[in-house]
Amino acid sequence: MRIATAKETYIADEGLLTTNTQRAWMIVLALVLALAPFVLNAYWLYLACLVAINVASATGLNILTGYTGLVSLGQAAFMAVGAYAVAFLDGHLGTPFLLNILAAGLIAAAVGVLVGVPSLRVKGLYLAIATIAASFILHFVFTNWVSVTGGMSGVNVAPARLFGIELASPFALYFVIVPVTALMVLGAANLFRTRIGRAFIAIRDRDISAEVLGIPLLQYKLMSFALSSFYAGVAGGMWAYFFRVVTPESFPFATSIFFLAAVIVGGLGTILGPILGAAFMTLVPELLKYVVEWLGPVFPNAGAALSPVRTIVFGALIIFFLVFEPQGLAEIVRRVRRFFHLWPFKT
Amino acid sequence: MTDLNRRDILGLAATAGLASTFFSPLTAFADEKELVIGGSIPLTGVFAFAGVAIEAGISDFVKITNEAGGVAGRKLRLAYEDTAYKVDQSVAVFNKLTTQNDIHLYYGDSTGFAKTINEELNRRGTILMAGASFGSELNNPEKYPFQFMAGPDYVEMIAILLEYIAKEQKGAKIVFVNSDTEFGRDPIEASVKRAKEMGLEVVGQIVTPPTAVDVSTEILKLRRANPDFTIFHGYVLAPLPEFLSQAKQLGLKSRFMGTFWSMDNSLWANVGAPADGFMGVMPYRYYYDTAPDAPILEKIRKLRPTYQATGYMQGFLTAMLMTEAARRTLQAGKALDAKNLKAALNTIKDFDTGGIIGVPISIPGNSVPVGRIYSYSAADKQMKPASDWISLKK
Repeated sequence: MRIATAKETYIADEGLLTTNTQRAWMIVLALVLALAPFVLNAYWLYLACLVAINVASATGLNILTGYTGLVSLGQAAFMAVGAYAVAFLDGHLGTPFLLNILAAGLIAAAVGVLVGVPSLRVKGLYLAIATIAASFILHFVFTNWVSVTGGMSGVNVAPARLFGIELASPFALYFVIVPVTALMVLGAANLFRTRIGRAFIAIRDRDISAEVLGIPLLQYKLMSFALSSFYAGVAGGMWAYFFRVVTPESFPFATSIFFLAAVIVGGLGTILGPILGAAFMTLVPELLKYVVEWLGPVFPNAGAALSPVRTIVFGALIIFFLVFEPQGLAEIVRRVRRFFHLWPFKT
Repeated sequence: MTDLNRRDILGLAATAGLASTFFSPLTAFADEKELVIGGSIPLTGVFAFAGVAIEAGISDFVKITNEAGGVAGRKLRLAYEDTAYKVDQSVAVFNKLTTQNDIHLYYGDSTGFAKTINEELNRRGTILMAGASFGSELNNPEKYPFQFMAGPDYVEMIAILLEYIAKEQKGAKIVFVNSDTEFGRDPIEASVKRAKEMGLEVVGQIVTPPTAVDVSTEILKLRRANPDFTIFHGYVLAPLPEFLSQAKQLGLKSRFMGTFWSMDNSLWANVGAPADGFMGVMPYRYYYDTAPDAPILEKIRKLRPTYQATGYMQGFLTAMLMTEAARRTLQAGKALDAKNLKAALNTIKDFDTGGIIGVPISIPGNSVPVGRIYSYSAADKQMKPASDWISLKK
């Protein structure tokens, strides 16, 4: 049960973690994340890194779409900008790994600002189309700017190095990717305790009212695009070091839809949403493979025969959550938490 | 724990399920006497048509081999999972299968995967990989020391077509039509150069989106160029039938040709009359080929009485060649590591594939540069040989 949580100061009231239970769980989570690489095998570590990269990008998209109300289908293209930036900086300038990732975010942010310019005039579906158009233009650039992107065959990226240690395996990269993602999620959570974050929410709820309140729309919308693209760029940079090859086909348009779906399934406009959504979208297809595997002894040739069924089940699960939990997976977690706020007096 | 309610049971079931999911890989290690072929195979997604056939081909090869006693005393086993033709999923499958099994042979599903996993293959040094990609970039033993392909790469496929054209018609005019993808662009630059060197005239290059439907403007370009031969690459089927039927309506004299992935017989059987005369390069014999020197095809027909797609032969032969490399390594008493496996693969010389390829083959590098020209007969609903087997000289 939740008791003794009365706040005496505004600062305490605005804290990210307001109760000791929350703090304890956060410590447990941190410990689990820190110990996971020593327990998990290569496959689960690979998936953990992939989830972390996807969480970073989905969190960025959530700032733009969930909190500012600007629909974007260009997230994959921004990730690609980040990935190419890392490949170029690493290959041509040999700059350090973490600096490259930061630069990837900044370059993607700059491109994001450009792509975001139409957002002052158009929104909703129209903006979605504008971002699709931008991602096709970027795809053209990736394919034809051969001196930088290597054209269709792409570019290879050397393993990341940190303090002389080569980070080539998922085990090694985990210790960089997960903390960077955690920092980014923390940054996003903090963002919405500031004027900037609240301005984003005001724009989402009613942009004209926001302007009347003194929020310069262009500046804040572009800022939202920049932040979102920064997240995508950093995620793309980590992706490049993780997969070590970047081609124009590394980030197809379907990836943008993947991230939008992740944010919606997870819960728009919540910090927890993109984390759960990205984990759901990445892990459920993998977990469903275990179901196929378990059916192996009873179902001859299960792998080939049931794989199409698996994709249908995955699609059906997404629809199921949208219909029965339109607020996303984050809402389920919130409900579970509310249950324990009153437990054991009301169950 | 006598008063378990429904929720507790559900909770326990979920925990048990998750626990078995996480920890089962640690307990499922392979038997010492096994030789496992791992596979990232696309059973769903855009390449599923090939993946399903490839899986059938490899599975049948495994079955036939095990019935004949296995490989140097070891039973063969295929461990595979669906990748949906996505690189990140292919890598996930690779990581999963190599954690669960002791894998030394691997089948990969795309050029993207082959490029992505290459560094990991080099780092591990324990796995020999081949796959569905004939990307010319992979045909480089220095950069891809532990990979190979069971056929000619895309540049070599077009070179085989060009050899045929040069023999048929000296100084013929050629147009290349390719999709705007990595797959489509792969051989074009090198092939244009090669065509010119062979005295053939390249009168045009057309690039289309991979899923183009309306090709009327491209047909007009083709009419202006008026080639003797049009070579398509980077497609499976669409938009080839559209090209063929519109070209026939306009009375173009050009003959149309394709590469391996657009050469499946069942694809063209559904197209009907416009497909008549479509030609292309095929590294393997078709399922229905009753040539006397192809006993393995007879066996395959007994196992599977209905037509098997070209992907089946590709999977079957890939498994055959990687297994042969393993057999030679084991028989020489060497360790099953990538270096030994690749070296053993490269000792394959004048090897009889049981008739899948009509001539004895050698693998000096990463590819098998052999193929034959087939032409589709709409009347017989079959691809028929239009040339003898063509082996490219390095």
